[in-house]
Amino acid sequence: MSGALKAISATPQPGPGATRQTGTVAKLIDTSLCIGCKACEVACQEWNDQPFQVGAYAGTYQTQPDLAPNFWNLIKFNEREQEDGHLLWLMAKYQCMHCADPGCLRACPAPGAIVQYTNGIVDFNSDQCIGCGYCMTGCPFDVPKLNPVTKKVQKCTLCTDRVSVGLEPACIKACPTNCLSFGTRENLLAKAEARVEDLRADGRRGAGIYNPAGVGGTHVLYVLAHADHPENYGLPRDPRIPWTVALWKGPLKWLGNALLAGGVLGAVFHYIRFGPWKTKEEPDDAA
Amino acid sequence: MPPDRRLARFSLAERLIHWSVALSFLYAAFTGIGLWSPRLYWVAGIFGGGATVSAWHPLGGLLFALVFALMSSRWHRQMRLDADDRLWLRHGHRFILHEEFGVLESGRFNGGQKALYWMQAASAVILVLSGLVLWFPEVMPRGVRLAAVLLHPVAAVASLTGLIVHVYMGTAAIPGALRSMIEGYVSRGWAATHHPKWYREVTRR
Repeated sequence: MSGALKAISATPQPGPGATRQTGTVAKLIDTSLCIGCKACEVACQEWNDQPFQVGAYAGTYQTQPDLAPNFWNLIKFNEREQEDGHLLWLMAKYQCMHCADPGCLRACPAPGAIVQYTNGIVDFNSDQCIGCGYCMTGCPFDVPKLNPVTKKVQKCTLCTDRVSVGLEPACIKACPTNCLSFGTRENLLAKAEARVEDLRADGRRGAGIYNPAGVGGTHVLYVLAHADHPENYGLPRDPRIPWTVALWKGPLKWLGNALLAGGVLGAVFHYIRFGPWKTKEEPDDAA
Repeated sequence: MPPDRRLARFSLAERLIHWSVALSFLYAAFTGIGLWSPRLYWVAGIFGGGATVSAWHPLGGLLFALVFALMSSRWHRQMRLDADDRLWLRHGHRFILHEEFGVLESGRFNGGQKALYWMQAASAVILVLSGLVLWFPEVMPRGVRLAAVLLHPVAAVASLTGLIVHVYMGTAAIPGALRSMIEGYVSRGWAATHHPKWYREVTRR
């Protein structure tokens, strides 16, 4: 789709494109320009042929409380009271962050079910997905959702089908305020920095870029007017691959393999050295 | 040896339960091992492929939990460690080096068997509880899932290591042990050698 694969889930070797040097793409979400119109939500549903299912109403403008298997793009409407009593009404589009070091891919046990393209897009292959849901636990952003009907996990593809033919993602296309933009990650980081400068000059001293280093950076970048409090936007403060997942897929795997192989080898060696335990023909007290 | 000289070691019910535990455990173990390492994913292929394994591994685990509970309800009292068993465990290295004769006492089950049983029981509890969490990721709280993805493989490796020891001891290492779990009987010499205290108990009557 979008060029060669950089990483493939549950595959010991890196993807065939891992040594290629290509530019990467990104999506920039300038939350200071979001008006909460939800055009991106609709465009996402339309392009990806996802039926809208009426969910729960939680008393806000937010379409539904969380992402869903058939709903990959959600504007979170956050109401926060500041220490000085002022109310903040913050809108932030939420979707897959397309991490450079994706926790979902790390946790996935099915070869090829999750792939990372050289352009940075992380995508799920439903035909390889076994529906175990480990990716949901590996993701520090709680993005992938298990479809109860198909038993496949689904999420935003960054419109890899559009990107691979030179189009921008559907959400970007629909955004009326230029809150959303698409391009090379390098260019968008520069654009985000310039925008942060403007916001700071405007008196938004907490303005900054959300590009969490704990997951190696992301291919969805945010400009936040209050970057010192990303949780106010519904974004995790310091997302990283959970340590239990990293331990499970890292040292524990080797330790476990060594234990199991060592156990079999130990039994064989013991038998060769000692042979079977001797059994008496008759008990000593045999009459 | 005439059959009337042999000693009954495992009742029919015990043997049926033991092999139900064994088969359900092996099914869960082999399907689980396919998801444990990408290099072993081909094992999942033997059992119907990743999606089938993902759907049926929990069912195999549930069956294992039920028959293991049944086995425990029969055996957990007999698995309590007494003073002889503690002595056995302190001198476990002698047993491994074949230097135990005349040193270690053993009832129907020896200290090593009992310790293995408790290790397997603890692993089973962890496997079943964490397995339930992993079975329904969409409803389980995130913190619990994070613990389960670590605990499930840890307990699985522990119980598989225990299984390797158990299978070796029950087959190649102690001739007669496998037959006792299939046919239910052991020779008098076998009982007196490997479980002398038990031998004295059953022949006293």
